[in-house]
Order: sequence, then C-alpha cells, then structure tokens
Amino acid sequence: MATETERLYVLPGDAIDEPLVPRHKKQPLRLGPGLRHIPPSAIVPTVAGQLVVEPRKNSMWMEYNGGRYVPAQNDLVIGQVQRSAAELYLVNLAAHTASATLPQLAFEGATKKTRPQLAQGALVYARVVLANRHMDAELECVSAATGKAEGLGPLTGGMAFDVSLGLARRLLMARSRDEGGVEVLELLGAEGLAFETAVGRNGRVWVGSDSPKTIVLVGRALRETDEGRLDVEQQRKLVKRLVREMR
Amino acid sequence: MTVIPEATLSVLPRADGSARYAHAGYTVTASVNGPIEAQRRDEHAFEAHVDVVVRPAAGTGGTRERHLESIIESSLTQLILVKNFPRQLIQIVLQIETTPDNDYVNTKLVQASLNFPIVPSLLQAAVLALISAAVPMRATATASVVAVVSQEGTKRLVVDPSPRDLEQAQSVHVLAFTSHDELLLAESEGDFTVKEWDGVYEAALKICCRPTSTKAGIDVMLDDSEDAAGSDMRQFLRSTVEAKVAADLYWK
Repeated sequence: MATETERLYVLPGDAIDEPLVPRHKKQPLRLGPGLRHIPPSAIVPTVAGQLVVEPRKNSMWMEYNGGRYVPAQNDLVIGQVQRSAAELYLVNLAAHTASATLPQLAFEGATKKTRPQLAQGALVYARVVLANRHMDAELECVSAATGKAEGLGPLTGGMAFDVSLGLARRLLMARSRDEGGVEVLELLGAEGLAFETAVGRNGRVWVGSDSPKTIVLVGRALRETDEGRLDVEQQRKLVKRLVREMR
Repeated sequence: MTVIPEATLSVLPRADGSARYAHAGYTVTASVNGPIEAQRRDEHAFEAHVDVVVRPAAGTGGTRERHLESIIESSLTQLILVKNFPRQLIQIVLQIETTPDNDYVNTKLVQASLNFPIVPSLLQAAVLALISAAVPMRATATASVVAVVSQEGTKRLVVDPSPRDLEQAQSVHVLAFTSHDELLLAESEGDFTVKEWDGVYEAALKICCRPTSTKAGIDVMLDDSEDAAGSDMRQFLRSTVEAKVAADLYWK
C-alpha cells in the first residue's frame, strides 16, 4: 500500500495535498467514507482518521473507528425485526435510529403465499440495497441478480454480540488476519470449537452453535479483543486462556 | 495562571462519542449521540437538529445554562454537516464537573455576567466529543476567552482570566475560530472600544490559530518568544486527536 511508509492522520477540514490525490487517466476517482468533494477539485476529510490512498484502484478513503452506524449501499448488516407491516418488516440496525425496511418478498423463494414469518425480535442477516439520507434504508435477504440467498436470511438460534464498527469492518475484510489483524475466530475454530458466525457492518456479530457454552465463549473472545485492543499474539493467549477455562 | 489543557477522548463506553476536557480550572465531560431519530417536534425536513444540553456541576440547569446552550448550539451547527442527516438528531450533553471558584450556592441564580469564561471549555469538549463520535464536520474549532483588565490606568489583556481577574475586568470576550481561521463565535460584554476589541481579536487569534508546520515528519512549532501567554489550542487539538486515531488503528 502507498501509506506503508508514512501514516497520514487528518482532521475534519484539513487540506489534502494535491499530489496525494490519485490521478488515473481512465478510471474516475472513487471516494470512500469520511471524504467529501467540494467542486471543482477540493477533497476534504469530514472525520478524524487516517487517510488511505490506493492509486491502483484510483480510490481514497478514511480509516477510523467509532461513531454510530449510518447505512451505506451494499453493506451487510444484522438487523432486529421491530414489527411487521403489511408488506414489509421494520428492522432496527442501531439503537435509537430510524428503522430500515425489509420487504417480505425479499427472501429466497418467497412468494405471496410462502413468505418467512419473522416474529418481533428475530435477527436477520441482510444487505442494504438503498441508502439515501432522505429516506429510510431498504434491505434485502436475496441477491437480485441470482435470486439466491447467498448466506443472507433469518438467523435462528445463537446470539448477537455488539462490537465496535472498526472491528466489524476488520472481520468483514477478505483476509481479516493479514489486513485486519484479527485472527480470534480462526484460532477458536482451530481449538476444535464448532460454531458459525455472521458479521454485520453495523457492529453486530451473530454467533451460532449447538452448545451455548461455545456461543458465550466466542462472544466473549470477540468483545475482549475489541475492548482490549488485542493484537494477534494477545488474541492467541486470550483464546488459550478462554478454552482452558471452559474445559 | 494559564494551565495546559488536558483532554481524554472516548471516556464513556456507551455513548457514540465522548470527551473529558480540563482547562483553566474547568472540567467538562461531553457525550455525543447521533445521528439518531429525532422527536417529531424537533424534526427538520432538510437538516439535522443539533441538541445541546448543558448540565451544571450542582443542581439543575436554569436560564444561565439555556443561554450557554444557545451559544454552543449555534456554533456547532456551523461546524457539523447538518445537511447530511435530514430529520435526524445529534445530541450533545455537556456536564460541567468542576469550576475554578466552585460557587455551588449561586449556580441557579441568573447571573449572565459569569457565563463567558466557561464557553471555551464547553465548546472544546463538544468538538472533541464530536470528533470521537465521527460525526461529519466541515472543520474543527478552537476557542479562548480574553479579559481586558485595567490596572493603574493601563489596560492589559488577560488570557484565560481567573475569577479574580474577572471581577476586575472591564470587558470579557469569548472568541472561537474554525480550523480555516474563520471567526466562528464572538461574544463580548462590558465596556470596550473597537480598538480594544481588535487587540482582543489578535490575542485570541494567536492562541487559537497559531500556524504550525508538521511537514517532513517532525513537528516544528513556531515559538513566539514575545509572549508565551496562552497555549497553542490548535496544536493541542491535533495531537490529542492524532493520539486517539493512532490508538484506534493499532492493527494497521
């Protein structure tokens, strides 16, 4: 990465040096979260964090942790069903925020007659299809392109744990161990625990297993990794300790 | 007299963002929650409602606190990108923990003349908490309070005046600047001339907007040897926030 040599921390409203902005001949510049474009050409951070520039993809974004989840398109989230309206479910993504809508037909194989019945408080793993500041977010549990669930849908059994938005993002990285520095789930699996997880970008991690002991242990390991800011080596020690305590 | 400001970010585990700020005898803890769903009567169709609550060190808030809230709210609305969150609410609670004179007895009295020295601490705590909550902002802000004290016929400027200085002061001024050196807040009270105000403005600008160069990896502070009065608020804000960001991104 371009920022390996020097970490660039910026505050809201700081000027970004012109040479830092990637200039690609063909691709348009892609701005990630925490940056805004003021025409004609100024790019200004809106949050405090580390500025990351990826010249190959002609993109730049801010890396930061904290704050409240604001829905963005294509995010995978874990929502809790608040209530069911005529054609849709109202789903809560973060405490005290406006609920997102999940159409009852946006499930794999759902028709007017066979639609999943979700009770109040049920958890769903969904994708944000529409995120617009003037409207409530809209979710779906089925890929519009293939018509398949692709891992989305109601989460039965198990338990959801709250983690910081930063950890959720790291867990969702394709190579979470190398890029995100979080290995705790792999380590727990290597210890012989059988469990499954679903990570929501809104700072919720769902853990499912046949054994309640395992669920609590995995959840605790995640929370402690998050709150204690543990690196990979410390995560290894934590997992060893937790597994020993359980047995 | 001047004390170096101190701040800790994200002190409250349940709030979206929080900060504790101590300076010149005042300690303020700020918490920020938002953007959250606004109550129907607070809802604005095109922008976020910024709700500021000031809580005194003892007792419940009164007219004084409402006055402070209105000052802080109008300043913060300029900083936060409110248009990004229509129909939402950003709630900021500022709890005053200590004040230099600790006059618990009089906190509920309507004493408009004693409000100003706390405004910089409130504003600074609020800005730090907003940064900690990652609320999108146009710029950051720094603030300071300057008093004009007349002594044996000559007038001098006192930055961060003590309660005793305030008693003798002819006028007290609160000024806040954004990180783009724009004047964000200017409240004054007492007798003063335009020339005096200009002097106050220059003094506050020096504290809030001291140019620093952080190029080439090392922090080179431009030390003004002529007057060491007042701390460099902008450098303080930057170093505090950078330390927090670096701690958050320990895994990078």
